[in-house]
Amino acid sequence: MTTISTPHASNRAIAVTRLHVVNTWSVFALPAIIMGVILVANIAIWALIFANTPAADQGDVREGLQYSGAASYIFVYMAIVAIQSTAVTFPYALGFGVTRRAYAAGSALAYLGLAVVYTIALTVLGFIEELTHGWGFGGRMFTAIYFGGDSWYVRSFVYFAFLLFFFFAGAMFGAVYVRWRATGIVGAFAVIILALIGLAAILGLLVGWEPVFGALDDLSDIGTVSLLFIPTAIAAAVSFLVLRRATIRN
Amino acid sequence: MSAVIEVSNLTKRFGRFTAVDDATFTVAENSITGLLGRNGAGKTTLMQLITAQQFATSGTIDVFGSTPVENAQVLQNICFIRESQRYPDEFRPKHVFRSAPWFFPNWDADFAARLVDDFRLPLNRRIKKMSRGQVSAVGVIVGLASRAPLTFFDEPYLGLDAVARQIFYDRLLEDYAEHPRTIVLSTHLIDEVANLLEHVIVIDGGRIVVNSDAESLRGSAVTVSGPAAAVDAFAAGREALGTERIGGLATATLASASAKDRADAAASGLELGPVSLQQLIIRLTTSEGATS
Repeated sequence: MTTISTPHASNRAIAVTRLHVVNTWSVFALPAIIMGVILVANIAIWALIFANTPAADQGDVREGLQYSGAASYIFVYMAIVAIQSTAVTFPYALGFGVTRRAYAAGSALAYLGLAVVYTIALTVLGFIEELTHGWGFGGRMFTAIYFGGDSWYVRSFVYFAFLLFFFFAGAMFGAVYVRWRATGIVGAFAVIILALIGLAAILGLLVGWEPVFGALDDLSDIGTVSLLFIPTAIAAAVSFLVLRRATIRN
Repeated sequence: MSAVIEVSNLTKRFGRFTAVDDATFTVAENSITGLLGRNGAGKTTLMQLITAQQFATSGTIDVFGSTPVENAQVLQNICFIRESQRYPDEFRPKHVFRSAPWFFPNWDADFAARLVDDFRLPLNRRIKKMSRGQVSAVGVIVGLASRAPLTFFDEPYLGLDAVARQIFYDRLLEDYAEHPRTIVLSTHLIDEVANLLEHVIVIDGGRIVVNSDAESLRGSAVTVSGPAAAVDAFAAGREALGTERIGGLATATLASASAKDRADAAASGLELGPVSLQQLIIRLTTSEGATS
């Protein structure tokens, strides 16, 4: 019998990781370009606002600009990257002789790596925003209040937690789609909504909202955002379990 | 010759539909096997079961001596090029050929480059924007250049023109001669690949109806033609796969003909003719035995 090659199993997982990022255009270039366009558009808007605001009111405007969600598009983009890449890369990789286990491990590593890369990029952009005093206009995009405002490490942590959440949530919906198609997606939403209502019922009726909010209040910013790791871990586990028995549809 | 694939009593049901029905066969190492059958006969499902893309309902599958299901040691030797193979969105052929060597240790980049020239494939065009035939060429190139010990081509050349198909057959044979491996080819273009195949498995309605080496299959079947009455008399009591009639003349297809059969036919003034693999398979997989 032919001597069958036996490279280490982890190589296959790493190959899957690389497969997710081999097309640098859709993973890095396109989101960077979109982010650039959004930034330029925001700078133009800030310039217009300040040009038409009397000097006395400009402080109030700066106050308002910290409530910016402009940079959050990146999270949605990454969720879509994860959905699409699962839906198409999974059957593709299985045709190349990859196990479902190696696919799940390699994909998780890809999402983790991408989350780190984008956290660094967003953190650097946040620094630039601070150094240039809001791109010259006191604008806030990467240091918006939702990302933790003025502390860079809180911001980085928030970026990372959200990126990871959106990657794995996307991967979970991608996995559900691979296995059960559109029916699965509808079912998944139903299950998630019921679970959230159930959780709300337990907290509201059995525990009571006051201690819940009290507990949240006691948490630091990082502590609150850390709670996001719970649904992230659930999504990662669900996507793995769903892919374990997924088949390739014709 | 040892068997690379050993399938026994394999059944796959989707709900009430039985896609593969109690299939038993082996595929020998370093051979080219044709997996033939009509649309919906179960060819793709059978290949998906062997490559662990689908899970069997019952029966066993051994590939390289063990189960392929979630078995990295087995699966890493397999390349499966699907009919209408899909590629990740926004992929260009260069992305495919850059990433394929990560999965196939025997990948031959020079061979891939030569095939790209042969098929005149644009490397930098988005696969979404390419013609059906060009997309097929990408799959064919991956399947050949991967040199996976076990390669499946499931109707790989949708949209490929006759010249490109001939290139595929030629390169496949050349490369197979230099780098023997096990190849399973599913196709409808039976006559085109007839000379390529060493072994033939025919599946119909999920059942394996032929499992034979191609040489004996080609040599065994004959047509017997002449006046209808004489043909009918000859065919009676023999294993006729089907009979065609035009006016007072008839042609019967027999699965096999012994020396005595041949002598009898000659004595009755009937003419014996060869049957192409394609004709034979049409006879074998047409319901109602093709008495037209």
